[in-house]
Amino acid sequence: MRAPVATAVAIVVGLIILLGYFVPVGIVLVLRDVLLGWAIVLAGMAALVGIINLVKVHWRKSTVRGERDPYSPVLLIVFLATVGAGFALGGPSNPTFQQVVNAVQIPVETTLTAVLAIALAYAAMRLLGRRMGLMAIVFVTSTVLYLLLNSGILAVDSGAPALKSALGVLQRLPVAGARGILLGIALGSLTTGLRVLMGVDRPFSG
Amino acid sequence: MPENIPILVGAVLTVLVLLGYLLGENNFLFRLATYIFIGVATGYVFVLVFYQVITPRLIRPLLSGSFEQIVLTLPPLVLSVMLVFKIFPNLSRLGNLSMAYLVGAGAAVAIGGAVLGTLITQARASINLFDLSAGGGISRLLDGVFILVGTLSTLLYFSFSAKAQRNAAPQRPVPVRAAAGVGQIFIAITLGSLFAGVFTASLTALIERLGFLLNLVRTMVF
Repeated sequence: MRAPVATAVAIVVGLIILLGYFVPVGIVLVLRDVLLGWAIVLAGMAALVGIINLVKVHWRKSTVRGERDPYSPVLLIVFLATVGAGFALGGPSNPTFQQVVNAVQIPVETTLTAVLAIALAYAAMRLLGRRMGLMAIVFVTSTVLYLLLNSGILAVDSGAPALKSALGVLQRLPVAGARGILLGIALGSLTTGLRVLMGVDRPFSG
Repeated sequence: MPENIPILVGAVLTVLVLLGYLLGENNFLFRLATYIFIGVATGYVFVLVFYQVITPRLIRPLLSGSFEQIVLTLPPLVLSVMLVFKIFPNLSRLGNLSMAYLVGAGAAVAIGGAVLGTLITQARASINLFDLSAGGGISRLLDGVFILVGTLSTLLYFSFSAKAQRNAAPQRPVPVRAAAGVGQIFIAITLGSLFAGVFTASLTALIERLGFLLNLVRTMVF
């Protein structure tokens, strides 16, 4: 058996936390809260380890001949400046620090979302050109229809009742598919989680 | 003047990303903007995690907590130290125990969330559509049947169990295939409506960014 101690830890911790969800009584709840508190610390530490690894990779790309990436030093300088400012100003709740971070984050995030419009329009056109099947036709028709519905062009306050009810049906049409997709995702998560808790999957033993 | 610096930084980055994207994603401007973005984002996350998770839950209890708090902080401290070994390839096996703890806790939270947050609530929402005492009469009933057919056919579309056949590729039973066909149409409609929503949002962002740049140019020129 591969990694028996780690597997036992994953199963025991998982079962106790799960028990806390479905049998919310005294000692089980206390144990669940303590174990979840430790998991939060570990998740935070995992994030820090991930960031340190990112810095390590870009440090190598900045210094090792043959692996040089001209953008890596920029990332390292910006990262160190942000961390330095964060510690010097006393943490993330400092208004000046928030202003500095937002000055970069908000414009880049908004602009990346903005260029998504161009990418999506281009992808939709390519879909029709390349894979013209029933699914593509329904998809593109539905996209155009919901763009019109979202724009409010078809909204009528005093229109015919038949038109109103037809618009109502159209608005509810995606609910059925969305519910099926949501249930599918939940069943997938359930199966994956149970496989880990039964020791069948061990993604931690690498 | 200093209060204008964030606006100017925003304008420069907007132009970098927009121009960079229009010239192709692999050019100097776009990559520079994305590397700056990643640098700031990771730096912010580093500071955030340190101040809001590590300090209050690990460092402060160890330095100024009661005996009970110190004892309760020791296991996550040991596991955290073991997790740090994941950075070094030769010692990364020492971090497996911490990863196992995280995976076990994550799996339990995922199961709890899936069952309590999605399966039960979505099933209850579907059942409630058949509750005629809530009013709505026959149209509510039809609505319920329609949603139920859509939900079940969508779920069946993702069922890929098939019987092996002699001299032919495995195929799903005919009723399942028929239901999956209906489910495929429901999925296409749902994805189309989601696509329209995302497209509307990104178009709004594009208009906002172009408006921002236009206003800035106007302010600087006039």
